[in-house]
Amino acid sequence: MASTKPLCLPRRSFPRRATVRRRLAEGEQILSGGVFNKQKSHEDIVNEFGDSACFTLSLLGHVYCKTDRLAKGSECYQKSLSLNPFLWSPFESLCEIGEKPDPDQTFKLTSIQNFSSCLPNTCTTLVSNHSLSHRQPETVLTETPQDTIELNRLNLESSNSKYSLNTDSSVSYIDSAVISPDNVPLGTGTSILSKQVQNKPKTGRSLLGGPTALSPLTPSFGILPLETPSPGDGSYLQNYTNTPSVIDVPSTGAPTKKSVARMGQTGTKSVFSQSGNSREVTPILVAQTQSSGPQTSTTPQVLSPTITSPPNALPRRSSRLFTSDSSTTKENSKKLKMKFPPKIPNRKTKSKTNKGGITQPSINDSLEITKLDSSIISEGKISTITPQIQAFNLQKAAAEGLMSLLREMGKGYLALCSYNCKEAINILSHLPSHHYSTGWVLCQVGRAYFELSEYMQAERIFSEVRRIENYRVEGMEIYSTTLWHLQKDVALSVLSKDLTDMDKNSPEAWCAAGNCFSLQREHDIAIKFFQRAIQVDPNYAYAYTLLGHEFVLTEELDKALACFRNAIRVNPRHYNAWYGLGMIYYKQEKFSLAEMHFQKALDINPQSSVLLCHIGVVQHALKKSEKALDTLNKAIVIDPKNPLCKFHRASVLFANEKYKSALQELEELKQIVPKESLVYFLIGKVYKKLGQTHLALMNFSWAMDLDPKGANNQIKEAIDKRYLPDDEEPITQEEQIMGTDESQESSMTDADDTQLHAAESDEF
Amino acid sequence: MTTPNKTPPGADPKQLERTATVREIGSQAVWSLSSCKPGFGVDQLRDDNLETYWQSDGSQPHLVNIQFRRKTTVKTLCIYADYKSDESYTPSKISVRVGNHFHNLQEIRQLELVEPSGWIHVPLTDNHKKPTRTFMIQIAVLANHQNGRDTHMRQIKIYTPVEESSIGKFPRCTTIDFMMYRSIR
Repeated sequence: MASTKPLCLPRRSFPRRATVRRRLAEGEQILSGGVFNKQKSHEDIVNEFGDSACFTLSLLGHVYCKTDRLAKGSECYQKSLSLNPFLWSPFESLCEIGEKPDPDQTFKLTSIQNFSSCLPNTCTTLVSNHSLSHRQPETVLTETPQDTIELNRLNLESSNSKYSLNTDSSVSYIDSAVISPDNVPLGTGTSILSKQVQNKPKTGRSLLGGPTALSPLTPSFGILPLETPSPGDGSYLQNYTNTPSVIDVPSTGAPTKKSVARMGQTGTKSVFSQSGNSREVTPILVAQTQSSGPQTSTTPQVLSPTITSPPNALPRRSSRLFTSDSSTTKENSKKLKMKFPPKIPNRKTKSKTNKGGITQPSINDSLEITKLDSSIISEGKISTITPQIQAFNLQKAAAEGLMSLLREMGKGYLALCSYNCKEAINILSHLPSHHYSTGWVLCQVGRAYFELSEYMQAERIFSEVRRIENYRVEGMEIYSTTLWHLQKDVALSVLSKDLTDMDKNSPEAWCAAGNCFSLQREHDIAIKFFQRAIQVDPNYAYAYTLLGHEFVLTEELDKALACFRNAIRVNPRHYNAWYGLGMIYYKQEKFSLAEMHFQKALDINPQSSVLLCHIGVVQHALKKSEKALDTLNKAIVIDPKNPLCKFHRASVLFANEKYKSALQELEELKQIVPKESLVYFLIGKVYKKLGQTHLALMNFSWAMDLDPKGANNQIKEAIDKRYLPDDEEPITQEEQIMGTDESQESSMTDADDTQLHAAESDEF
Repeated sequence: MTTPNKTPPGADPKQLERTATVREIGSQAVWSLSSCKPGFGVDQLRDDNLETYWQSDGSQPHLVNIQFRRKTTVKTLCIYADYKSDESYTPSKISVRVGNHFHNLQEIRQLELVEPSGWIHVPLTDNHKKPTRTFMIQIAVLANHQNGRDTHMRQIKIYTPVEESSIGKFPRCTTIDFMMYRSIR
């Protein structure tokens, strides 16, 4: 099929993209010398940015991907991951652009060199900071933005004085830039970047308004001693604050909610305790799992207990902390970080904490631990093993645990992005239950079911997500489309109302609202809402796709074409948009173009039986009936529950005059979906062709009966053609039908037939 | 003298829309009037508000012209007229003409209204009982109640049959099981 490639309007031609592009260019300029200057190699970047190189590279990768240089982008992501395997964001981005990074290779601890160099010296500072930092957990616990901001401030202040080491200020600003790739125009990031550039990166000053906490990047995996922290011990392990909580500081509504969501997720999982370390706001991983008291329900779970805080507070938090099985629960914080960074608005203070998360357990980490240890030692609380070693071992164990979790989740996510949905579901359901029952994981599982067209299952999973995290907005657009497919209008309107009430700035909420009105057939209003979703986030591909579908429904095919192309411009792997384009060409009867687009969609998502079904029909329209049958057979094999595949196979057989097989297919279909009028309609046509007019009429009248909105024109016409050579009165013809039907009592076999027949005889 | 039966009001066209068998396409057309009083023009005729109306301001017949960019299938025309509020302004004889342009119009329906009190559904079918395909529709008000000169028309909606969006030239499916697999969204 030598059809021309679909006309994908060149990205460069969109004027409004110019602004974003300009900023991307600025960003790139700053990070790597720009497109036109000599570009720095990755090594240069690593040298220049030191510890934060991983974030730099991640950000650079993002810039490259957005400007169509996917190869370079993926290179950057890979490098970033190799520098710091704790990063989730680059891994996620790699999966999304279609690469297949190997989770086992990526999430390995061996790549971290500095574990052994955990031999710190300064411990004193730690102790002095305890009191200061202790206050933090309280603040951290609250979910309000103000608190998190305050927390951050406190953290930063505490770490301010003792800033040292290789904390580049660059780190901090990188963070902010990294944090805000999507939501905030990169310009803000880059403007900060440019400011930073002027102060040489290596200076210890952070221009971001806070003490440089390069720390956030370098989590220290301090471990809680094995004993339950005793309440009264102030100098004991300081406040653990869930790094995510710190990270999630951004004060905007949505991100905060998300962060809360994450905190909620982490719930009883691992806790990143925050050492009162002056230099850094490094999280200390809590590896312990003792539960030490009643759980609080309200405050965000993950927050670490402050040992110094009032005794009541302490047991609560720690208990929550300790209920996790393994230290590997970091995934939560992981998840927090992973999801979070892209969305955190450019908040200087936050930046620090952000990627910090569990980044490099490099040099600095050790500080915390050792400080921790020393403080512990000073209290005489620890046992014989040298605290350093003990802490170090714990740290290692914690990190290892985290890695294994990341590997699992990485595998699951990779499978999902390659549309290997069954496998993704399998992998993700093997996660321990406290990880499985979290918003992010369940959303991925729900999405996997959605892609498999198993809408009932997907709906079940998503309603579970809503139950667990009803503030979660991400992933809800898939839920709304699921409800749209299932035609559950009440649930859909509830969902859209909740989402729009909760967050008017999220495209997902407006997509849900648009879906709701589309289901009600109010297409103009739906169009308005989808346009609003696009306004809120012009880089959200799904909004364009949905808008395109609405335009198709209002027969404005040109606008629909433009929308689908926009969606593809934003995300070339958005197979729904390729499908949409195929549908438009099909409607315009440009069958070869249609087939090409469907095939492209299928290349991205090979397990979709709906796609295969469409390809089969198009091939049949192109007169390639053998191929069509093959394709349809494949579709049925992949998903035997898809009745349309069988239906279309029957219709292809019918068109090829294989009436017996068509009838057989249709009879099977009748068993599966007994109330579908189309099935009877096609059976009627087959019988008509076979010359068995009475059976044909019988089936046609059943088809008409089953169609509650009044007889379909086609059915009427089919009957008409049989009896009206040209101009007979429709009335007489109907009388004839009725007459013939009444005489058909004998041939009823299955219950449905009798039921239908009974219904008919009731009428007369 | 027998009083002719009053024209019964029809169903609200919104219900028609919800059946998903028709779609309102007035927004895809260009509307024009033969005459109107300032402030009582096309906008008031198409604003989904039954309180506002078009008031003509010329000689009979008063015309509403609906022109499409391309040949469109039209199934039903819905006009809202209310004798109680409009009295002598209420149209009593309406002629519906279709064609390609102004000089090519042919009347396909003529209806007599007697004290209408709501929506009037006018099916626009050709000789073969199928919806008409046309570039232009003209609604002509030939006479009003009580021989009024000018006319009020409160709302007009025009409907086209919905094309099957599913693949294959089949009528639409009726069960959710089929509809779920019909498309990817």
